[in-house]
Formats: sequence, structure tokens, C-alpha cells
Amino acid sequence: MSERLIGILTDSFVKILIPGIKVTIPLTMLSFAFSFVLGLALALVQVADIKVLRQFARFYIWVFRGTPLIVQLFIIFFGLPSIGITLDAFPSAVIAFGMNLGAYNAEVFRSSIQAIPQGQMEAAFMIGLSYPTTMRRIILPQSFPIAFPSLFNNLISLLKDTSLASSITVIELFTTAQQIAARTYEPFALYCEAAVIYLFFSTFLTWLQSFLEAKLVWKSKPVTDAGKNRAILG
Amino acid sequence: MLEIRDIHKSFSGEEVLKGIDFKVDKGEVIAVIGPSGSGKTTLLRCISFLEKADKGTIIFDGYTHEMGTISNRDIKKIRMRMGYVFQNFNLFSNMTVFENVMEGLTTARGIERNTARSKTIDVLEKVGMIDKAEYYPGEISGGQQQRVAIARAIAPDPDVILFDEPTSALDPELTGEVLDVMKRLAKEGTTMVVVTHEMGFAMDVASRITFMENGMVVEEGTSREFFSSPKEDRSRQFIRRIMRECEYTI
Repeated sequence: MSERLIGILTDSFVKILIPGIKVTIPLTMLSFAFSFVLGLALALVQVADIKVLRQFARFYIWVFRGTPLIVQLFIIFFGLPSIGITLDAFPSAVIAFGMNLGAYNAEVFRSSIQAIPQGQMEAAFMIGLSYPTTMRRIILPQSFPIAFPSLFNNLISLLKDTSLASSITVIELFTTAQQIAARTYEPFALYCEAAVIYLFFSTFLTWLQSFLEAKLVWKSKPVTDAGKNRAILG
Repeated sequence: MLEIRDIHKSFSGEEVLKGIDFKVDKGEVIAVIGPSGSGKTTLLRCISFLEKADKGTIIFDGYTHEMGTISNRDIKKIRMRMGYVFQNFNLFSNMTVFENVMEGLTTARGIERNTARSKTIDVLEKVGMIDKAEYYPGEISGGQQQRVAIARAIAPDPDVILFDEPTSALDPELTGEVLDVMKRLAKEGTTMVVVTHEMGFAMDVASRITFMENGMVVEEGTSREFFSSPKEDRSRQFIRRIMRECEYTI
């Protein structure tokens, strides 16, 4: 490898990493938070069987899972201004990613809620809990550990998909790599470098997932005799 | 205290309850018996509104409600004064034994924490499960889970407790501990409706028997009358068959 190339790579590493930390990560986190709340809401109206809202949720999921993410990004950023709604690139990206992943997370939440035996809800009703309280206290705490691996999987996909935001002028990790590649005529090296940085991020998330999963499993399904080690009556 | 009149329920066109009248007085233990598919469990589930009856009247606590049109608010009000013990225990698996009992007191009824705590300790002692208070349901045996489920049902001092085949999901050697707890409750004057296949329990503990078949009540009477001199042919047949089975097991 020539000295020039090594120079370009070391020089650009920080230049790519900084928008990675400053833009890619916040974009991922905000979009995911949005998709989490939206997905949960779309799942809850489906399992609660509120007729109109349930149909809306099914329609929403059908549309957002059935169309490409980049088309959704373009509609929000390039399309909406023509009907008078102009948004900056970053919020456009958050909305598009959040709405798109919301459809996927809705299915994750729905299936995890439906995995909880019907008897749990009946028992909750019979001790006098209302439907919303039953969801909050009994059903969701049990379904969350089931949903967790798939949600995290979606988070890791989202991290990589945020590179699509480069196409609507968000200056994030991949946009920066593209700019430097264009300037230095070293696309191979720079795109590989970008790939490595994405890999850092996703490796960290994968590690975080197994760390958190170990904790969740213990809390929701304690191994036999674990109770013995806990103080009686707190 | 609890009365049901002319209750009807169909599942996909097939009528499983064909106009049942049913009544429990305070302090009574009623055993609902009968062959499988006779509608015993469905009756219990309709009384507790876990299934919505197509037609029928419930009189509880001085109020009369039409079961087909009752509001969710009234259902909740009735459930607040009813305990229910499931065949499959249905303890909340995300909560410890102690939290399982507490939930109905604190979250559902807004009882102050310290009062709820001492009540929870009381009922767990009564069912002999205080030692396992900090265990999760998955860590204890089926019989123990069912005793906790009984503690959870009695903790709010309900007017009546409904038992849906409480020992059917248990290994034979674990049914004894659950039946013992239920006997003790009966002795203390707890009002109970017990759907059961345990004829020994029905004979010893129940004050009245309701014998059901094909979605109808065939015979109803005190436990002594029913087992010693049943009025209906069908009851006689049923008792004879049950007694033969008892001989086999001896």
C-alpha cells in the first residue's frame, strides 16, 4: 500500500468517524425510538381489536412493508415540498426510517404479545385489573423479552440502512466517505473504510444485545432455585 | 347471594349451555360435576364473564344484570368481588409468588401497601406457601402454584370463589395438598363453586351438588341426597360408574 494511500486512510478515518458518531448514531437512535413507540401503538390497537384502528394498522403495515425504504425517503424529502410541507434532511430521515421500521416493529410486538398464553390475561381480569393495566403490568412485561431479539435485530439493520440518508443530503458517515472518495479518487479504500466503521458500530450493538439478553432472560425466566438466593420478603 | 337464570351459550352454532339456573348462598360449597363436555367449565366462565353468555340473567350483590348486554364497568365491579382459580393456575410469570398475591390488592384495588403486605403474608401462610414468597411461578411445583393461585384468589376477601377443575392439571400425588387447602377454606365458611372430577371432594366437602350433562342441569341437591339417593336415572348411572372407577383405583 502506498504511503499516499495510508495517509489518506488515516486522515479520513476520523473525518468519517465523526459524522458517524454525530449523525449516524443519533439518526439511528431517534429513528429507532420513533419506530419503537409507533410499532408498539400499531401492535396494541391490533391486539385490542379496536376495529377502525386495527384496519388502519394493517393498512399502514401493508404500505410501509410493501414499498422500498428509499422511495419512502424520497417521497418525504423531495415529494412533500410540492404539497407545501418542507422538512430538513435530518428530520425527514428520522421520519422515514421511523415510519418504515415502525411497521416491522409492529409485527414483532404483535407476535410477542400473542405469544403470551391467554390465561395470563384472564387471570389478570379476574383479580380486577382493567385491560390497559393488564397490558402494562402483565402482558407487555412478559412479551418484551420475547420481542427483544427481533427488535435488536431491526435496530442493527436500521444502523446500516441509515446510509441511505446520504441520498437525501444528510451528511452522515457514508456521505462523508463518498465525498472523500470523490476528492481522492480512492473509492475502493474509502468505501472499505466506511464498511469497517459500520462494522465497529454493529459489532458493538451485537455485543450489547447479548449482554442485555442475558439480563432479560434471568429476570423473566429465573433458573430453578434462583429464588433461594433471594432474601425472603425483601 | 349469586344467582344465574336461564343462561344460554353457543359456540359456532352448537349450544353448550341450554338454559341453566344456578344459585349459591353465602357459605355454601357447590360442586358442579358431570361428564366431560357437559358445559361445567363454560358455565363457570360465563358467570365470570370470561365468556360472554348469549342470554341469561345474573343477580349478584343485590344487582340484576342481563348477561348479553352487561357493560364492562359492571363486569369489572362483579369481578372485584369474585375469586377465580384456573385449571392451569395462570400465575403471572413475570412476578414472584408474593407479587402475584399483592397485585390484586394494590394495583387492582388501591389498597395501601402495608395493609396489602400483611394480608398477603396472611393468605400465603394459610396456603402454606410463605416460604416460597420470593420464588417465581416457574420455580415451584404445580401443586404449589395452585396453592398460590388460591391465595391470590382469596386475598381480596371475595364473596365467592370459582374453581375450574383446580386439580385436573396436577400429578395425582400433588392433588392432595390443593384439596386440603380447599377443605380448610370450606370449613371456614368460604362460599365456593367448584367444577371438579374429584368425587371424594364433592362427597366430603360440598354442601350441594349440581350434576350437569349436555348443557343442562340434570339434578341438583344436597351432597348427601345426591350420592345416597339420586332422583334421576342419569345421575344414578353416573354415580355407579364413578364408584366403579374408585374401586379400580383401590
